[in-house]
Amino acid sequence: MDIGSFFSALTPLNLLFALFGVVAGTIIGSIPGLTATMAVAVLVPITFSMEPASALILLGAIYTGAIYGGAYAAILLNTPGTPSAIATTFDGYPMAKRGEGDLAVALACFASVAGGLVGAFALLFLAPPLSRVALAFGPVEYFWLSIFGLSLIASLSNGNLAKGLAGGAFGLILSTVGVAEVSADIRLTFGSQTMIGGFGVVGALIGLYCIPVLIDLVAVPERHLKVEKGVQSVRIADAFLLAMKSKFNLLRSSVIGTLVGILPGAGGSVAGLVAYSEAKRNAKPHQKFGEGEPDGIMATEAANNATVGGGFIPTLVLGIPGTPPDAVILGALLVQGVRTGPALFESGGSSIAYTFIYGLIIATVLMLPVGLLIGRYAYKSIVMIPKAVLVPTVAFMTVIGTFAIRNSVSDVVIMILLGVFGWVVGRFGFAASPIVLGLILGPIAEQGFVQTWIIGSAVGDLSGMFFGRPISQGIVAFTLVSLLYPVYSAFRQKRILANSGGAA
Amino acid sequence: MRRTFLKSLLAASTALSIGVMGSASAELSGSVNYIIPFGPGGESDISARFQQPFFKEKFGEDMVISYQPGGGGAVGWASLNGLNADGQTIMGVNLPHIVIKPAQKDVGFTTEGLNIFHWFHYTPDAIVVEASSPYQSLQDLIDDAKENPGAVTLSGSGKASANHLAQIKFDSMADITTTYVPFKGTGAAVTALLGKQVKAEWGYSTVGATQGDAVRMLAVAMDERHPLFPDVPTFKELGFDMVGGAYRGLALPDSASDETTQMWSNMITEINQDPAFRQQMLDGGFAMLDVGVDEMDEFMAARTEGYLADARAAELIE
Amino acid sequence: MSATRGVTRSTIGTLLVASLFVVMGIVTLYDTLSYGDVDSKVFPRAAASLLIIASIFSIVLTLLKPAADEGFGTGSWWRRVLLVVSMLAACVLMPLYGFVVASAFAFLGALIAAMHDEWRLKNAAIYVVSGAVVVGGFYSLFRFGLSVPLP
Repeated sequence: MDIGSFFSALTPLNLLFALFGVVAGTIIGSIPGLTATMAVAVLVPITFSMEPASALILLGAIYTGAIYGGAYAAILLNTPGTPSAIATTFDGYPMAKRGEGDLAVALACFASVAGGLVGAFALLFLAPPLSRVALAFGPVEYFWLSIFGLSLIASLSNGNLAKGLAGGAFGLILSTVGVAEVSADIRLTFGSQTMIGGFGVVGALIGLYCIPVLIDLVAVPERHLKVEKGVQSVRIADAFLLAMKSKFNLLRSSVIGTLVGILPGAGGSVAGLVAYSEAKRNAKPHQKFGEGEPDGIMATEAANNATVGGGFIPTLVLGIPGTPPDAVILGALLVQGVRTGPALFESGGSSIAYTFIYGLIIATVLMLPVGLLIGRYAYKSIVMIPKAVLVPTVAFMTVIGTFAIRNSVSDVVIMILLGVFGWVVGRFGFAASPIVLGLILGPIAEQGFVQTWIIGSAVGDLSGMFFGRPISQGIVAFTLVSLLYPVYSAFRQKRILANSGGAA
Repeated sequence: MRRTFLKSLLAASTALSIGVMGSASAELSGSVNYIIPFGPGGESDISARFQQPFFKEKFGEDMVISYQPGGGGAVGWASLNGLNADGQTIMGVNLPHIVIKPAQKDVGFTTEGLNIFHWFHYTPDAIVVEASSPYQSLQDLIDDAKENPGAVTLSGSGKASANHLAQIKFDSMADITTTYVPFKGTGAAVTALLGKQVKAEWGYSTVGATQGDAVRMLAVAMDERHPLFPDVPTFKELGFDMVGGAYRGLALPDSASDETTQMWSNMITEINQDPAFRQQMLDGGFAMLDVGVDEMDEFMAARTEGYLADARAAELIE
Repeated sequence: MSATRGVTRSTIGTLLVASLFVVMGIVTLYDTLSYGDVDSKVFPRAAASLLIIASIFSIVLTLLKPAADEGFGTGSWWRRVLLVVSMLAACVLMPLYGFVVASAFAFLGALIAAMHDEWRLKNAAIYVVSGAVVVGGFYSLFRFGLSVPLP
């Protein structure tokens, strides 16, 4: 742990990079369609002429800012700005609808900073041992993890279980469209060239979340969000108090986020989901998750920013990217000639790693004032803008954002049509989140299953493969608990009501 | 006499100016779009990132790398010929993908329809094991496979890919049966190897370079040993005629002019000859290649025939 | 104490949507018959089966206990259609007329769709100008800031 590196992270130039990175990242992340990966990829060439540590600080700052920025659109427009903000819509948008959007944004900021710091400190102190976690997860663990994620759909469906599962299954099917990873077959394209690429997550996200919102906005003359008179900084103090009260939730969610970030291929969306589900499971009786509960936002935002630090652990220690932006950053590092590996963390080894980690911590801390400021601005503008400007602007943003993913007009058309479909089915109780979650988790589930099957058959021990490994047993147990717990607690509640009714 | 002299002078200068105009008509105007038909972080991405600074230095323009993943490259290649043909947009191409995919199904492009102007490197196939693996040599792996047919699991990137073809080919050469476990990309395959989910990996020499001491390569599919790994034998030395891997190159839309194509071929060749670039690539575990437009037809014909034969033998295509 | 039975519009709607899902599940199952590799069939079949089962369940539940609060609700249809149509039109126009023209078209369509206040000249002017600013701003951001090639 190199104190000297700390001071090199504090140079004016590096501070400037951290600040710029956080600002740029936040703005980019808040635009649906622009992901953290894109933001990082674009700025990589600039970093070639920079010191490796400074380059890393810039890219890391952008990354963490973008993950935070995704919350704005999630809260104010019910559209996750990045996939990692999906779970933030669950409680963020309801809060905004009842006029507490500024509180929600401030909460997201505090939670993101908290989560980011936990992830960064894990990176600082525990990187080499924690990287072992990344390796311990094999195909079967990923399979059970995705089943766990899908089971969360059940617990999050608030009584509409059948419809939630149908939506999730539909998402799973959507994820199979196109060229199969596991077998090189082409599926469900019905002969169409356009469908070979399949349904991209980001395009589907924008379509399923944002288009329905827009369709409903144009239909009625009411304002989009209730405006509480006088948007002041009073809400920042409120947010801070709420965050302090919720310390355990923040910590638990950050730890979950760090661990999920360590798993290559998991990412912020899964982290937010798991953290949210855990927070809901541990909710106190008066809390109403799904209707604008502050703890819900804090759980997801802490978790998704923790994946930034967590994702760097396998990236720097093993040379295996934890999340897609890490893959880009890894490429940038290779060009700079930086060798990844445990040697990066040993004292006497290169100081690049430590300078970078300190820089990441500084950037995360900087995100607090920057985030609150930008957040207040974003909130004010979205709330004040008349619909006649807001709707076209957002519609335009969705078009340009979806196009920019793959330079493809057909992606945009698919996005719009999927959005209309999502609006129709959403009107009858089939929510967007299960579909998107199915789309995200489908590939993980399928690949995990097929790979486990192949390996299990090869060693002749299928059941042992699927059920015999300790980590997967743990995940399965967890899944069962979270599936059965709502049933159990509903049952208990009924019992309590019956008893108190009888006594009266 | 003077008249003739003047005439020839006129003719010469006309020819000269036409010549100058001819080569000047193919010129870069602004930053260049380098589209990679995969997601970020793979070997295509890394080799492009290596080229980026050299391109800027030699030709003064920015090389903007963008990603167009989908269909294992098919989405990108299917869209290539519809892109702007003014020479500002190029796309990465990969062998064997561009041969195998159209042969399997209708994927929106044909191998011959791609205007490829350069193949600048390849990553030789290699069998990689984790550092603590009991296999010390290739023979150990072969013996284990002979004793326990199907029990030796090897991870690799994708199905009907270079890794997969290599596994099938080697299995038939060594008369063994191993099990191939497909993963999404080299990164995932390496993770599985390091986590001991599989016994070995069909990867490339680049894996040995990035993972260093965490892995050991049992053999590489090259003519001579890779300079970075003087201790790793080639398949040839051990008696197996396997040379090859995944080749990477660049293509333009097919409506691009011949001058533009030639210009690009020359530019990439120039980067490829730069000793600093070569060193960087070799240090990364890549193996260099120099196939420009002049050698393109012959190279493609040989490769296509070879891959199709392998794929047929592997029953991946009819 | 009987719940209000009766086939409301929302019941029909839910039944239709659920049936649509069942159909899609069946289509998926049918498609799996044409796959070459065993590995590619397992997952779609499982997912399609889940879809069909879950949709049938929701059909049954809806028939037993019709939900009264769903449906398309109030709100003007022509605006909704205008919004979607102008966005789709922009996609069609994009390869032909370039990005700026196409998205300006979409912007205008969405503007008209969302405009509930009276059409006063001043408002119209402000909106059109701000529209131009937004389109121009984002275009520059993407084109020059992020180097995304826009048609």
